[in-house]
Amino acid sequence: MENVLIDGLSFAAPLFIMAMGGIYSEKSGVTNLAVEGFQGFGAFIGALVAVLLMPSMGDGSQAVIYIAMLAAAVGGGVYACIHGLLCVKFRANQVISGVVVNILAVALTTFLTSAVNKALTGGQSSNKFILGVSSRFTVPGISRIPVLGALFRDMYPFEIIIAVIAVAVWYLMYKTRFGMRLRACGENPQAVDAAGGNVDRTRFLAVMISGALSGVGGICYAYSISANFSPNSYMGYGYLAIAAMIFGNWNIPSTAAVCLFFGLAKSGGYQLCLSMGLSSNYSDLFMMLPYILTLLLLTFFSKKNHPPKAAGEAYDAGKR
Amino acid sequence: MKRENGSHRLASILDSEKWSGVSIPILSIVLSLVTASVMLLILGKNPLVAFLSFLQGSGFVPKGSYGGGSGMLTDFFTFLNVLAPMLLASLGFIVAFRAGLFNIGISGQMMAAGFLATALIGYSGLDAWLAKPLVILIGMIAGGLLGAFVGFLKYRFNIHEVVSTIMLNYIISYLTGFFINTKFADSLTRSMKICSPASRLTWMNLQIGGVKCNVPLGIVLAIAAAFAVKFLFDKTVFGFELRAVGRNPVCAKYTGIKVGRRIVVSLMLSGMLAGLAGVTYYCGYYNTIVPKSLCSMGYDAIAVALLGNSSPIGCIFASILITIFQNGSNYMSSTLGVAKEIASLITGILLLFSACGGYFRYLAHRRLETALDREAAAQKAAQAPAAETSAAQPPEASDGRTSSEKEEQ
Repeated sequence: MENVLIDGLSFAAPLFIMAMGGIYSEKSGVTNLAVEGFQGFGAFIGALVAVLLMPSMGDGSQAVIYIAMLAAAVGGGVYACIHGLLCVKFRANQVISGVVVNILAVALTTFLTSAVNKALTGGQSSNKFILGVSSRFTVPGISRIPVLGALFRDMYPFEIIIAVIAVAVWYLMYKTRFGMRLRACGENPQAVDAAGGNVDRTRFLAVMISGALSGVGGICYAYSISANFSPNSYMGYGYLAIAAMIFGNWNIPSTAAVCLFFGLAKSGGYQLCLSMGLSSNYSDLFMMLPYILTLLLLTFFSKKNHPPKAAGEAYDAGKR
Repeated sequence: MKRENGSHRLASILDSEKWSGVSIPILSIVLSLVTASVMLLILGKNPLVAFLSFLQGSGFVPKGSYGGGSGMLTDFFTFLNVLAPMLLASLGFIVAFRAGLFNIGISGQMMAAGFLATALIGYSGLDAWLAKPLVILIGMIAGGLLGAFVGFLKYRFNIHEVVSTIMLNYIISYLTGFFINTKFADSLTRSMKICSPASRLTWMNLQIGGVKCNVPLGIVLAIAAAFAVKFLFDKTVFGFELRAVGRNPVCAKYTGIKVGRRIVVSLMLSGMLAGLAGVTYYCGYYNTIVPKSLCSMGYDAIAVALLGNSSPIGCIFASILITIFQNGSNYMSSTLGVAKEIASLITGILLLFSACGGYFRYLAHRRLETALDREAAAQKAAQAPAAETSAAQPPEASDGRTSSEKEEQ
């Protein structure tokens, strides 16, 4: 039971930050299927920086992780410019642009990873950046609370960072002028334009923020679950984040709840499989659980969903 | 002045109703080949040699040397083996796309179809004349049902097809992975046991012109399917209704088209084509299924459809081009020593430029319009000296003309 909570939370936190990335983009009116590509490219840049720094800073150094997270945010943000350019400036179909960005991210990072590895090791080309696993810590005091205390045991530092970012991001979206403009761009861009805002710039910024947040999510997975960066890092969690966002009705607090639910369903299924003493083959069946539950729950909640009204269309000032 | 004429002509080709469907993809291809060449040059390789070796690897141009029993035809038929599922998958995508739907679940539908066909027919020991049609039929039914299910979820519960297909991709991947691992795993390779030659959609090692060739049945199906889809969209009421739903569902509803049903049917057709792609891939080209790894073809198919301007005939050419890169990458990699991932990178760049196609056309259109304006202004300027009152107008107009001409030079 405790493991369910510990693993569930460490899976949910990066998923949540990616979903927030999706929310930023979509709330500003740019449909974002590119979260998967953003997180992958962000993780690539983070992992690249980590691999370059590791020799000079020592393998075990935890500071590398924080620098890598920062690099991942920058990398994701810069890469997101492609999606921003395509959707905002070039008025491409936003769903297609998302798919394009994802395909390009997989191809680009795989190619660059082997190229960089070849250059670093001198001839040997492997498509993996080996990373460490972030160290864990336990919050003293609260962690002794029965059952729920497990949420504070064996935490990854990034869970705290993500929680802080989440609050900041929520504040930015709901309590500041920029956030209001951003949300208005997704509902009625003409009104923003009339009020003197710049729709295209706001959307572009929103997509970049989206990329930065997704990049952080990507490097968190690379530093916890997989402990490396490779083409296998594209496990589809970006798509899962999009599902969480839609399920959470584009609302940050409810999306957090959905992500937690996904995390718990995933780790719960895995632990259930272990405790029933089934062979590892059966874990596949339990791995389906979050996806089946999503589909099932969406059948109940999808009718009430309110996606941002203007999402999916390039802003056309001349349109009524 | 001459150069301006050239770019003006280019703009009018890009913008014309008749030619933009061809000229814009060609422009995208040229731009991405240029980008790829620049990348190859940075890596210190000769781009022309690289492109030649892509063609050699796909059997369009003879290689320097061949192994025993194989030849250019061998490579060409292998190329056709990959081409067939690629074309079918992209056709599957456009059937839904024309109706305004995004079938991201082609990979999952392919896998489900391939798995079911292999499990039900592949080990049955039926004769070839019965087994092959059954494999095709099962593939189409499996894909079609999955597609219809996605359509039903969209129509009845308002679940966006992108989300439901992604969820289904995972479910299919894990579910088939479970069954393969527990029941159908080959003890040596850990992937699915190979299906019998009788049920396989590719005739292996046929002797043609003195070399061994793997002849795919799928390519015939794929080309036929392309023309069937073209007929459906261009000549039938149903196809027209699908396009109407894609353009404007609200308007389509007011004209009496049952939008919900069209959504279900178009996703079902899309799934059927994806299923067909799945059996030609898993029971033809590949002959086995690696558990829990969805093929990337489902996404490459989107690239093909995009490059082919979502027209069936365009898809034939686009899939040939992209398959040349994908299939020729091994040979290119072995001759030039460039990582073969560069093939996917070129595909990605190709996609990037194709996605900007609309913008290219918009630019061309705007260019033509400014040219028209300029002409009108010039005419006005020519007429102006006659009229005394328009003293301010002519210098302005001619000024505009000269400055833009300067820009050109």
